[in-house]
Order: sequence, then C-alpha cells, then structure tokens
Amino acid sequence: MDRLLRVNMTDRTAKFEPIPSAYASRAGRWLTSSLVHDEVPATCHPLGPRNKVVFSPGFVTGTAAPTSSRISVGGKSPLTGGIKEANAGTGWGRRLARLGIRAVVVEGQPERDGGFWMLKIDAKGVSFEPADALTGKKLSEMVPGLAARYGGRDKVDVCAIGVAGEHKMGAAGVCFTDREGRATRYAGRGGLGAALGSKGLKAIVVDDSGAAEVPIADKAKFDQGRKKLAAALGEHAITKPKGALNAYGTAVLVNILNEAGGLPTRNFRSGRFEGATKIAGEAIFAGNKERVGKDVYNHPCSPGCIIGCSNTWHKRDGSEHTSCIEYESDWAFGANCGIDDLDQIAELNLLCNEYGLDTIEIGGTLAVAAEGGVWKFGDGKRAIELVREIADATPLGRILGNGALVTGRAFGVTRVPHVKGQNMPAYEPRAIKGIGMTYAVSTMGADHTSGYTIAPEILGVSGKLDPLNPQKTDLARNFQYATAFIDSTGHCLFIAFAILDIASGFEGVVEECAGVLGTDWTMNDVARIGKAVLDLELDFNRQAGFTAADDRLPEFMLHEKLPPHDGVWDVPDEEIDRVFD
Amino acid sequence: MKVEARTYASLSAPGEQAGEPREVELREAGTVADLISALGIEAADVHLVIVDGRISHRRDEPLRGGARVALFPAVGGG
Repeated sequence: MDRLLRVNMTDRTAKFEPIPSAYASRAGRWLTSSLVHDEVPATCHPLGPRNKVVFSPGFVTGTAAPTSSRISVGGKSPLTGGIKEANAGTGWGRRLARLGIRAVVVEGQPERDGGFWMLKIDAKGVSFEPADALTGKKLSEMVPGLAARYGGRDKVDVCAIGVAGEHKMGAAGVCFTDREGRATRYAGRGGLGAALGSKGLKAIVVDDSGAAEVPIADKAKFDQGRKKLAAALGEHAITKPKGALNAYGTAVLVNILNEAGGLPTRNFRSGRFEGATKIAGEAIFAGNKERVGKDVYNHPCSPGCIIGCSNTWHKRDGSEHTSCIEYESDWAFGANCGIDDLDQIAELNLLCNEYGLDTIEIGGTLAVAAEGGVWKFGDGKRAIELVREIADATPLGRILGNGALVTGRAFGVTRVPHVKGQNMPAYEPRAIKGIGMTYAVSTMGADHTSGYTIAPEILGVSGKLDPLNPQKTDLARNFQYATAFIDSTGHCLFIAFAILDIASGFEGVVEECAGVLGTDWTMNDVARIGKAVLDLELDFNRQAGFTAADDRLPEFMLHEKLPPHDGVWDVPDEEIDRVFD
Repeated sequence: MKVEARTYASLSAPGEQAGEPREVELREAGTVADLISALGIEAADVHLVIVDGRISHRRDEPLRGGARVALFPAVGGG
C-alpha cells in the first residue's frame, strides 16, 4: 500500500500521489481522519465543494489477517456538521488495498449540475463513466448489473449511493457489496452518501485483477500475530463457529437489553418492549428454521471473516427477504417504532438497503415522527409507506430523509434522542451510563461503535460493571482510544469481544499491524494511536464550532424517568467534560 | 418461594421459545445457583444473569419471591 488516489469531481480528473511521509504509518480511520482534518476546512458546508470524502482500507486489509475487510469512509458529516468516520465490511476495500491504494480522496464539485458519474479503478488506472442511467433505481436493481458489466462479483466490488444520496439527504449512507455481491453493507451513519451525491459521484467499481499481494515488511511477525488472533476468535464463545454471533447474529442482543431495561422503546419512552422476544435473534433463528426447514447459520459479510455474524431473513415461501437484520436495524424499526412483526421489520430494512439509507437514523426518525403525530407507533404498514416516500422525495419524504433532528423540528417534537444531530442507537443511556457518556463525547455524534462500553457494562466481556453506576469517565475514554486503534487496523470491531478477554489475541493484532508496516509497535502503542486519532477528530470539531455544550444528552433525559429502573440521566457535566480533558 | 425464570439463546431447551416465562419453586432465599441447578442447566453454560433488570455478578445472590430472572450464555453483538 503506497499510493493515494485523488479524484477531482470539478473537472473529472484523477491522479495518483505518493502517500505523504507524515501518513506513512496511517490507514483506516487514522488516515481518513488525518486527511479530513488536514485538508477539509472545518467550517465548510458538508455538501459544498470544499468537503471531501475519503476512503481508506486498514493496516491489514487485503492480507490473510482474519476478519479484516473493513473500509473506512470519512468526511465532514452532512448530518452532524462534525468529522465522520463510518466503516463497512466488504471486499471493496480489500481490492483497493491489493491495488496498492491506501486512500481515495474525492474532492471538488461540478460547477453546474453535471449529472452523475461513476469511477472505475483497476490495475491499469482510473476512468470516469457517465452514470445518469444508474440513478433513481433500487440498489439491488442497479448494483449487480453494474458488477456484471465489469466482469462479475468474483472480479469486482461496488461502492454506490442510493436515491437518498442522490437527493443529498442527511440519513444517506454509503453502500458496498457483500461477499455474495448483494448491495447491503453500509458505512451507514452521518450522511456521507449525501456528500458523495453532492459531488455527483454515484458509484465506484474496483477490479483488482492482476494486482500483487499486499506487501508485508515482516512476514514472520505478521504470521505470528494473525495466528494469535485467529486462535482467540476461534476460542471465544461469542466469536467461535456456531457461537453466539454465528448462530443468532447481532440481534441476539434484543432480549439481553430488554431484560436489562436498556432497550429503547417507542422513541426512548421505556427500556422494555413487550414484543422483544418476537423480534430477537432467537426468533429470527426459529423463524428461518420453520420457513427453510433447517438450521440456518449466519454468513460472513466480507472475504476472510471467520466470525460470520450476518443473518438472512426468509419469506414464508423460503425465499430470501433481506440480509442482514442487524441488532441496530431490528431495534430501530422494532422496539423503537413499537413494531413486533419480523416481516415488517425485514421490509423496512430492505427498503433502507434499496434506497441507500442508514437504518438507525431512519428508525429513530420514524419514532420521532410518530411522536409528532405523523403515524402511530406499531403501524408497520404505514411505516413502510413513509420510507417509500423518502425515496420518492416528496416534501415529507425529504424531511424524514434528513433525520430525526430535522423531523423533530418540523413536527414540534422536543423528545429527540440525539447528540450533535445524530440519533441515538439501541442502548438507553439512562439505564447504561457508560454508553451515555460515550454518546455525549463521541466525535461522531451519538454512536455506540465509538466505544462499546456495553461489553463490560452488560455483556460481562472485559470485566463486569454495573451499568447504572454513573462513574464511567475512564471507561468511556479508554474504550474510545482502543476503538480508534481497531478502526485503523481494518479489523471488524467484533474482534474486540475475543481480544478484550484473551490478551494474546490483542497482542496478535498489534503484531499483525507492526508486521505489515515494519514498525516496532507493542501493546503500549494502542492507546497512543487511539488518542492520536481522537485528538485529530476533536480538533476538527472544535474548529467546526463545537463546544462542551454540544457534548450533552437531550434535555428530556435529565428529568423524564425511564421504566423499569425509573432512572434519569444523572452523570454530572463536569465528569463528561473530563473524558477528553 | 416461586421465581419467574426466562432462558435465552442456546440455554433454551429444544422446542422451547426463548424468553418464555417459567415458574420455578425454590427454597426461601434460594440463590441464582439454586435456580440454575433447578432448571437442569450446566452452570458453566450460563454467562450472564439478570435479576429484575439488574446484572447479577454473584451466583450466591439470594433471590426474592417473584423475582424475574433471565439467564443467557455468552453473547455479543453491536
């Protein structure tokens, strides 16, 4: 990995540049956040010509390191106005890494509406092709044909935006193909699909035919590391074959959070949902068994994953309805919208995949809309119509497509569970204090993947803490540092379940990275690197105008008691401000 | 005394629906360990116990009559 590809959408030119020496040991989130921090004016309009969208595979993406096919996407977020890194599991970044491209920087903007374009990247170089014919379609109707045109899914992976991105909506994600070529894997949060849409870039096809292997500076160290990690993943009860993630998928969390009183229900009015067991991972497993006639275990989203957590939901006739119903999506359309019908949840999930929408933001937006009287909680048929309206870009659809905060303003709703304009994900901060602190201070807006304190607070992984105890300042900081490091490696964050419990697994990750890059990193470098990433992101947000006043949970959580624990958000502001002080 | 037990994921018996509440008779101040034993589940298979919405970190934690007790294997997600 040695090149940076700069794509200028103002004049539709592309050029390769050497990686600047300052970035020699940066990749993944570390590199996207470095480039956004150093090149994007923090006060620019996220949909204007000065914003950039940056893609970077991680340190070990494209190698034989297990579960390492993540691609980081960065930019100034159209949803939050702050820095954003969202990542997805796909073969797309793997192919980029094998072509020796450590980052793609998409910049500029056509001076007049120049329609949509797509980019083809291969071993010979880069070309632009007109893409107007690809617009206005469902992604499942567009992406497989596009892949076929360039040699099929064995040869290429596709990155694309859906109609939501074309309409520059704040809830528009960036879609990538999964291992089977489905257009379903998302760098979902923060509206980066809208930033690509504003530049007129509809799709990027990557073909790595003829590419060399990713160079590894110290093969022995790398191999030692990857074996340690593979052993940890194969051993841990959560990540092993036919373990919790492989059998039940991430939606196995529905019942746990429900029992713990931390499953946000009907726009964060309760921590328990009476329909939880009907929508949980166990119900998905049982429903599939009934409809397909056998146990259906989950599949990897991307090449080289040995966890395999992605589920598929089947229709009554046994045909595929949608993949994948993640915990977050299941919750967003299920508990948070008061819907307990898996077929309706599956349809909402499918439509978001088709239109290029972030399921978390859209589920949260629908809940706020229900609060504002647009529809009634639990009416799944109406929820499906509303998501279709987003794709039609009607005035109501445009409001909903711009997320929960915009929708709350449009309908006079004060109960909008967001931080920095991004709707909260599936963990209730009044019942789980460490995740609440993470939402408050995250550079990304309310984001559970910034620092998954749920592991020790609920799951008993890497320690056992009381979720209701508000003293979580150090926890929130340390998890965010460790996560920023993992997000830079190219590994899926789910390796954390194993490596936080099995120390040799974490050592293995550091050895893999050091082996690829030829550095002498040890475990002591993990927090240093994580802090370096966070410091860049915090500095960008400060320059963009964020202050401590933005690191706060919404007012209603301070006084509205949450059943069943009847607690309020009681972490003092001074403690929140101490996390990154 | 009676407690209300719910088992999830791989702890549910074949054919049993996850989270189906089940009344279990225990001695007065019976513990989490007593309940696991009464349900016939291998203690080592239980990773997470939630009693009335509170994560329980002690197998010798005494239960109250009518307690809602949820038992999970090691699970994760995100």
